[in-house]
Amino acid sequence: MGKYVIRRIGQMVIVLFGATLILFACLFVLPGDPVGSLGGDKARDPAVVEQLRERYGLDKPLAVQYGNYVTNLVKGDLGEDYTQRRQVTEVLGPKLGNTAKLAVAAILIDVVLGVLAGLVAALFRYSFWDVLVTLLTTLAIGFPSFVIGMILQSQFAVNLGWFPLISDGSFNSMIMPAFTLAIIDAALVARLMRGTMLEVLRADYVKTAIAKGLPRRTVLLKHVMRNSIIPVVTYIGISFGGLLGGALITEAIFNWDGMGYALVTAIQQGNNPIIVGVVTYGVAVFVLLNLLVDLLYAVLDPRIRLS
Amino acid sequence: MRGAKSAKWVVGAIVVAMAATACGGSDSKDSGGKGAVFRLGITEPKSIDPVNAQESEGTLVARQLFVGLYDVNVDGTLNAKLAESAKPNDAGDEWTFQIKKDTKFSNGEAVNAEAFIRGWTRVTAKASASDVAYHMNGIAGYKELNGGSSDKFSGLTAEGDYTLKVKLSAPDFEFDKKTAHPAFSPVPKVAGAGDNKSFNDAPIGNGPFKMSGSWEHNKKITLVRNDDYGLAKAKLDKVELSILNPANGVTLEYKGFESGQFDWARMPVPQMPGAKAKYDPQGQWLKADVSGVNYISPFNESGPMKSADARKAISYAIDRAEIAKGVFQGLQEPATALLPPSFKDVYKADVCTSCVKQDKGKAKEYAEKAGLKPGDTLDFGYNTGAGHEEWVQAVAKQVEDVLGLKVKLNGLPFKEALARQQDKGTIGIWRQAWTADYPTADNFFSPLLSTSGINPDANGKALGDNRGRYSNPKFDELLVKARQTKDAAERAKIYNEAEKLAIDEDQGVIPTWKRTQYRLVNSKKFSNIKLDFFEDPNLAEIGVK
Repeated sequence: MGKYVIRRIGQMVIVLFGATLILFACLFVLPGDPVGSLGGDKARDPAVVEQLRERYGLDKPLAVQYGNYVTNLVKGDLGEDYTQRRQVTEVLGPKLGNTAKLAVAAILIDVVLGVLAGLVAALFRYSFWDVLVTLLTTLAIGFPSFVIGMILQSQFAVNLGWFPLISDGSFNSMIMPAFTLAIIDAALVARLMRGTMLEVLRADYVKTAIAKGLPRRTVLLKHVMRNSIIPVVTYIGISFGGLLGGALITEAIFNWDGMGYALVTAIQQGNNPIIVGVVTYGVAVFVLLNLLVDLLYAVLDPRIRLS
Repeated sequence: MRGAKSAKWVVGAIVVAMAATACGGSDSKDSGGKGAVFRLGITEPKSIDPVNAQESEGTLVARQLFVGLYDVNVDGTLNAKLAESAKPNDAGDEWTFQIKKDTKFSNGEAVNAEAFIRGWTRVTAKASASDVAYHMNGIAGYKELNGGSSDKFSGLTAEGDYTLKVKLSAPDFEFDKKTAHPAFSPVPKVAGAGDNKSFNDAPIGNGPFKMSGSWEHNKKITLVRNDDYGLAKAKLDKVELSILNPANGVTLEYKGFESGQFDWARMPVPQMPGAKAKYDPQGQWLKADVSGVNYISPFNESGPMKSADARKAISYAIDRAEIAKGVFQGLQEPATALLPPSFKDVYKADVCTSCVKQDKGKAKEYAEKAGLKPGDTLDFGYNTGAGHEEWVQAVAKQVEDVLGLKVKLNGLPFKEALARQQDKGTIGIWRQAWTADYPTADNFFSPLLSTSGINPDANGKALGDNRGRYSNPKFDELLVKARQTKDAAERAKIYNEAEKLAIDEDQGVIPTWKRTQYRLVNSKKFSNIKLDFFEDPNLAEIGVK
């Protein structure tokens, strides 16, 4: 187990370097001066451009720039952003926290809504509840998340005034964006849960357990739930990574100060250190989560061995 | 045993989630009943410290925190703030400013000539790498200070506590107007160097408002009235600037106004007619012609737009009135000069003859003279994502219909668009816009049309704002002459002559629309809300009902 974790972390380091290298190369290939265009509609003074190129080492070849980046990265230094000239770690730190908050809230809603709905649908197959879940999940999956977000916003913030329109990081202002993020995933989780539950319910070991006379609750919790949840955990692990990396639209709609919002702004401005920083964090989080999901398998199913 | 372990996982996850989500839960909201709080949304500024405040949001904040020699009235006239008098010498290359006595920074430090020198030096110093340093480049000693070979601004001297002497490197009888830019603010000793992070995030100034706490990045900036302000005090107790994301900010402002969270808002263009119908009758609709212009920049050096006739053909082919009515729903008006009407002293309507009315006959006539034939290709570049698509397509269609040209639209993201505009080989036309930094005609003509405004590097890349590379020595001479002319009326005449030459005879650029701005304002609670010269709300003058 220990060895496995170490090996996985080693892989993670390689992935991280690979991703940043590719990104560096891409940013270098793009046309346009990385600092010359930051002045907006008006031309930036060539003297200032020169001063900034020197300051950020942009006058050096790509290999040197990347080398410097990696050297600093090891020290936990992601450099300085081009617009406000603050440390990237200082800029992105709170944003990573904000996005994590939102993602955790969304995942909780996912799990509670999705697993419950799937459970009910599977246990009461073909009942009214099953039909209702199928209908609602179909609807949810059919709607793009930005439409859901805008409907929530105009109904609950503008018309009813229940929640603040402009998110400020408070619990109250997190509810709408978290729901927007969660709703489609929750529908998918419900579908997945229902499907695997039905399969497990038909499995021989469940029949055996029932035949042995175990109480229904024990059978459901110990045998059915436990075995149905593995694919769901995988799915949630992946979608959590997705949420951390790409809640772009939802964050923009609700003005949530997270990584997605940072990335969109940075791309518009050509603020390369922030772009590279977001991707570096994103890759690290994604790889860590994958590791966590794999470790969780072993806990849920002892037959899966990590080595 | 296994069950116990998985239960731990679940409990662990819940604890993490609670810890992550709970911290913001108890945020107390300001009741709003205590005083007059004016609330609006902005996007994250680059800087609110005058050392690098540049775009509208950053200068909005900086101008509440700092007051310099002059401000600008809506009609483009100068409004003396800390300047008691400003006298140029006869040659126009040396200015003496008398500074109002006994005003202070909100930390108690005196605002004297030294404070101005400190501020201007701080902006220009090489280590600051400030984007706004170039506003100082007319002052003697700029090159040495900005280039790093000196740490003093040789052109600036204090004579006594309240007299500031400014030596210029070339005559400029309009230098006083330039000092209205926030870069020319005085700063206290605590400001330190340009990269003083704590000052950058919580500047201490001498303006009508002061910071309440630090700049909460991406979240909020709160200003409170500065009761020690040396001039007419603000009536608002507090200004709350919520920071919105640029991707969706305008929509959030509009929705925020509708839901009562904001007292001032821009709105998305498609919503404007609806918003006007709803808010105009209630007196909450604000319209202002501001100090900017939209125009098309033809590439004068090479390609199909090389001749003035070709440029005139394009200009005559555009039906500005039709697009203003159709695409802009009557919310924008055609421009017939490069200068905006707010430059009262110099502005003359209809300078650009080809702009006044679409004339298909003349368009064809000029095209023929220029050798532009039906089927020829015309590149038309613009930057995407800024709402230009619709009108650009309309212009392209008109040019195609009238002249039979094939217009190739090149929409590019901003950074790439800029690179293409600067490129030596680029031909065709490009969409552009310009807003004034200070109320001088020179601020339009010199960067946009003078030969020095091209500012090419060794590879011929145009680094200045004259992207279309218009160049006429006679025009350049007129600008120099104007700067050296002491009498304002005389100077205005020379500028008129220059504009006529560049815009009408040479058609160096093609003006399209004036810059008209619309805002929603909470006039139920506040009075005297205006859009100032810099397109921001006049926070220091807003009254409370």
